[in-house]
Amino acid sequence: MSSIEELKREACATIEAGKQEILQVAREVLENPETGFNERRTATVVTRQFQQMGIPYRGKLAMTGIKGRIECGGGPGPTIGILGELDSLLVFDHPLADPDTGAAHACGHHAQIGMMLGATMGLLSSGVLKELSGTVVPFAVPAEEFVEVERRLALRANGHVEFLGGKQELIRLGEFDDIDMAMMCHTASDMGARRFTVGGTSNGHMVKFVEYTGKGAHAGSAPHLGINALNAANIAMAAIHANRETFREQETARVHGMINRGGEVVSAVPSDVRLEWRVRSSTPEALVRNNARVDRCFKAGALAVGAKVRITTIPGYFPLRHDPALQDLFRSNAEELVGRDKVLIMSTDRNRGGSTDMGDLSQIMPVCHPWTSGAAGAGHSKDYLIRDYDQAVINPAKIMAMVVIDLLAEGAQGARKVLAGSRPNMTKDQYVSFQRQRATVLDYDGAEG
Amino acid sequence: MPSVQELKAKVLGEIESRADEIVGISRKILENPEPGFREVKTSALVAATLKELGVPIRENLALTGIRGELGGGGNGPSVAVVGELDSLIVREHPHADPQTGAAHACGHHAQIGMMLGATMGLLASGVLPSLSGRVVLIAVPAEEYIEIEYRDELRRQGKIEFLGGKPEFIRLGHLDDVDIAMMCHTTSNPEEGQICMSGTNNGIVAKRIQFLGRGAHAGGAPHLGINALNAASLALMAIHANRETFRDEDTIRVHPIITKGGEAVSAVPADVRMETFVRGNTLEAVMGANRKVDRALKAGAMAVGGKVNIQTIPGYLPLRQDKSLAGVFRANAASIVGEANVGQVEHRTGSTDMGDVSHLMPAIHPYVGGATGLGHGADYVVQDYSIAVIAAAKALASTVVDLLADGAALGGKIASQHKAAMTTSEYLSFMRSLAKEELFDFTEA
Repeated sequence: MSSIEELKREACATIEAGKQEILQVAREVLENPETGFNERRTATVVTRQFQQMGIPYRGKLAMTGIKGRIECGGGPGPTIGILGELDSLLVFDHPLADPDTGAAHACGHHAQIGMMLGATMGLLSSGVLKELSGTVVPFAVPAEEFVEVERRLALRANGHVEFLGGKQELIRLGEFDDIDMAMMCHTASDMGARRFTVGGTSNGHMVKFVEYTGKGAHAGSAPHLGINALNAANIAMAAIHANRETFREQETARVHGMINRGGEVVSAVPSDVRLEWRVRSSTPEALVRNNARVDRCFKAGALAVGAKVRITTIPGYFPLRHDPALQDLFRSNAEELVGRDKVLIMSTDRNRGGSTDMGDLSQIMPVCHPWTSGAAGAGHSKDYLIRDYDQAVINPAKIMAMVVIDLLAEGAQGARKVLAGSRPNMTKDQYVSFQRQRATVLDYDGAEG
Repeated sequence: MPSVQELKAKVLGEIESRADEIVGISRKILENPEPGFREVKTSALVAATLKELGVPIRENLALTGIRGELGGGGNGPSVAVVGELDSLIVREHPHADPQTGAAHACGHHAQIGMMLGATMGLLASGVLPSLSGRVVLIAVPAEEYIEIEYRDELRRQGKIEFLGGKPEFIRLGHLDDVDIAMMCHTTSNPEEGQICMSGTNNGIVAKRIQFLGRGAHAGGAPHLGINALNAASLALMAIHANRETFRDEDTIRVHPIITKGGEAVSAVPADVRMETFVRGNTLEAVMGANRKVDRALKAGAMAVGGKVNIQTIPGYLPLRQDKSLAGVFRANAASIVGEANVGQVEHRTGSTDMGDVSHLMPAIHPYVGGATGLGHGADYVVQDYSIAVIAAAKALASTVVDLLADGAALGGKIASQHKAAMTTSEYLSFMRSLAKEELFDFTEA
């Protein structure tokens, strides 16, 4: 029997030795960016790697997800998910954007696929797994970025998905039922001298698709016969801005969106205007309240010009809650690898403002979602690039492999301790029914107001 | 029997000989400007002048109005010559009252002069026994639709029901026995000539709007407030967004002001008030635009989760002038100022309560030159009183002679051939149907 320290050294040495292959996978994903639920080529890369490593897997989960499953040699024990997100963003002017689709890895998810495969390689190829107890599930998950809502609504209408976020959908499908805890690591570009950040939280959000229906008319000769749906949207946006002064800082409200369709020709009164909108806040109460205000503003826009509006509210993500024990394992291994002064511990109420469906998973099981440096440029912008692949891919792979060893070595005592101390907010069934309740459609006719 | 021409010559001679006296009255009113329903000094001057002429009068009609009457030698229709008593409020006007800011920036002082001038001409020339019917002299208050808050308070106190002088005269029955009405308004547009025939005017409804929010420290706790100023601001934007749906031919005018926009910049405004007019060429156009304005106002309140109280106040009806009556006046104007100096305009987008009178009887509201500057502006002054007062008085008096001479054949014909748009009771019920006050509550449950 090797000691935990020896197992970790073995795993890290294996990852170091496989570094070129791991980084090649990350680069291949980078060069084939695909948005959520479209990640077919990216999925092929993952399945190829699983096949090469001899990992049994199931594919096409929630359309494009791939779930590997490796039983450890030391007998039964808890199941640990190592997650990597498959999807890219849409940033047309990103230097590595797909010229046809505009898809681009402006959030570094390609690094996650690399580190997920790297950690798996470190555990499997080293033979370390033989000495662990339990199961390791390397899991490539689709659609973390909540984008292309109109297209995803069509997927929903056609029965391909019910929830529009990848982990949400995988939870609903039961693909996390046999996983006891999960971890991943996300790249960041704003960490200064730190290499890793653990802790903090994220915003919950509601996703909205808003359709204004007016009445088309010749904009020059008969504007009086038209009902201008673009003016309705414009007034609604101004109304939302007027409400910003009622958002409290501690609720980190973020209300933002885009006009998907703003008219057809400039010479016709726009009759069909569609918006994709997002309401984020740190607490469920603030989210409900701010969402109601945004609905009111969208209705006011319709009322202002006598248009109709349909507000489709789509269940969004939950605020992230880290499991303290699991997070602490990540922190201690990170400190061991890069030095204590290079790891920042954020307080549990430190909210970065964004949202992730890891928040949803965190409601039903222990998770951690730390951050690694190595990226540069503003997240979600054309400037966001991974500059330091060793830090962005290899170091997180090593830390995650070491965390798995801490969890599953010595009869999986570590994992059992994490599970014993964790208190999930809800069961999977409670989660699914809560999310279903949030899916609403509100129709309002401003002409009757 | 003297001919119509002979009668007119006597009247015009009398007016010409009293020109200084007549212009003196106008100038005195110019120096004592008073806004509507407050024309106490102006009214007293009119009353004294008519009494001195021996004209029987009734005073304090619709608070400050006066009605006098001249009887002819036989029976016939009643022809009203109307002059408006009220001034505007333009503080920087050179003739503004330093205390109240009232100023005759619309030339109504000339109207009182021409009404009294026509009275003097008809009375002192001795032509009345040759005329059939009656001449009703009307000094009417409050044509300018201003000081809505003050007048609404008068309304709440039961002193008036409508906020304009002529609607009040109609309501009180002071025009029930009048068959034909005319007046003449000054203009400063040189292109309109010395006397200008006109077409239609916009109708109007007035609105008082109160957005109710919830006050809170704007720095310390804005999340506890409901910003009524933001509601008003969004309502204004919503109104503007609707402008593209206003048709050119409806000549819609919507022009709000904010009369209360908050109390302290450090508090979330909880009580914000606006006034606006909604004007248009036809009643349908006014009511259509008014519905859109109401919707926009509600949208503003909904946007912030506040309340809005919308009070709609009947204003004035669009002006429709009697073509036959206008023809008579025009012929007289041409003989007084010369054909080349008679102009013609069609639609005007301002409003006048002569529009209300014009829905009940043949009425005209032509224009007379002599003024310069921008109407309702600080530079609007009457420069040439011989045109603005004397020529207009002559044209009005000559028209009376045409209408009532020869047994009032022409006046009788115009009165009987005219198809009134409404009866007085229809008018009153329509006006009352416009008056509405509704509170819309969008506060969170």
